[in-house]
Amino acid sequence: MGVRRRTGGFYLRVNPILCDGFGHCHELAPELVNMDEWGYPIIEKEPTPLSELAALESARYAVRGCPRQALRIERVSEA
Amino acid sequence: MIALTTPYLWYTTRATGMVALILFTLVVSLGTLVANRVGGTVVGRFEVNELHRSISIVAMVFLVLHITTTVVDSYAPTGWLSAIIPFASKYRTVGVAIGAVAFDLILAVWISSLLKVRVKNESWRLIHWFSWLAFSSAILHAYLTGTDTKDGVGLAVVAACALCVFVTALWRYLARPARAAGRTALSPLAAAKGLATPRATQSGHASASSPSAFPRSPDARAKSRHASPDTPSSFPHSPAPRRSKRYR
Repeated sequence: MGVRRRTGGFYLRVNPILCDGFGHCHELAPELVNMDEWGYPIIEKEPTPLSELAALESARYAVRGCPRQALRIERVSEA
Repeated sequence: MIALTTPYLWYTTRATGMVALILFTLVVSLGTLVANRVGGTVVGRFEVNELHRSISIVAMVFLVLHITTTVVDSYAPTGWLSAIIPFASKYRTVGVAIGAVAFDLILAVWISSLLKVRVKNESWRLIHWFSWLAFSSAILHAYLTGTDTKDGVGLAVVAACALCVFVTALWRYLARPARAAGRTALSPLAAAKGLATPRATQSGHASASSPSAFPRSPDARAKSRHASPDTPSSFPHSPAPRRSKRYR
């Protein structure tokens, strides 16, 4: 495996139809996900740079921990 | 076919069966806690979910041990097929058949959860509903087949497991939240990472970031509420005010 350049960023995206407001994503990725008054996620609109490894790891945990599989990570090449 | 005659295999069968039943009681109860949105104040909701997942793995290990030792042991004439196919066992045919049904259902739930990323979420939920049936079959199997469950401590354990899951099911039915049941107040990871507020609010509202993430004492909470009078919620790290440009 070659060197992976950590340029570009990623979005954490939520499918609002699948989401039932369990709130696990806010607990697992607090730097990316905020809650609205009813317990649904408000997610950072701008892409997060991939160089923020902790944020990427949190996002992966949030995707894995979602009970409704409503989250996904989208990569963008442009930094 | 390997046929072993040591009595310890039979004792292992009985013991692992009992332990597996207790563990699956825990798994079903914890899964119900997740579905009913328990947690968020003292323990995180995701922690309940992780416990549910972890204990289910341990329970599967004990279940596989239980089945393997039963089949390998020469005392009870069952076969490998009787673990999966109902009524394939010569030994206590009906009880082992119900156990096979329970094992099949548990396998379905387990495999669909392992492939959760690949399975459509609706299908996963439908399969997961069958865990109630699986647990009922397991209780029946324990009562009908179990050597130790006819009286004494064994019967008490089985009855306690059945009662626990029955109460859980009742509570699941009566208190089911179809949608969000309020926000979770706790983000222990935020405290561990030293985050004041999520970035979503920080980028838009510099004033919303407070130095202490979770003011535990009531006067500190009152102070933080006083500092930002326009936040509608009483939570210290409340989201951005609704009149913000981004969320309009």
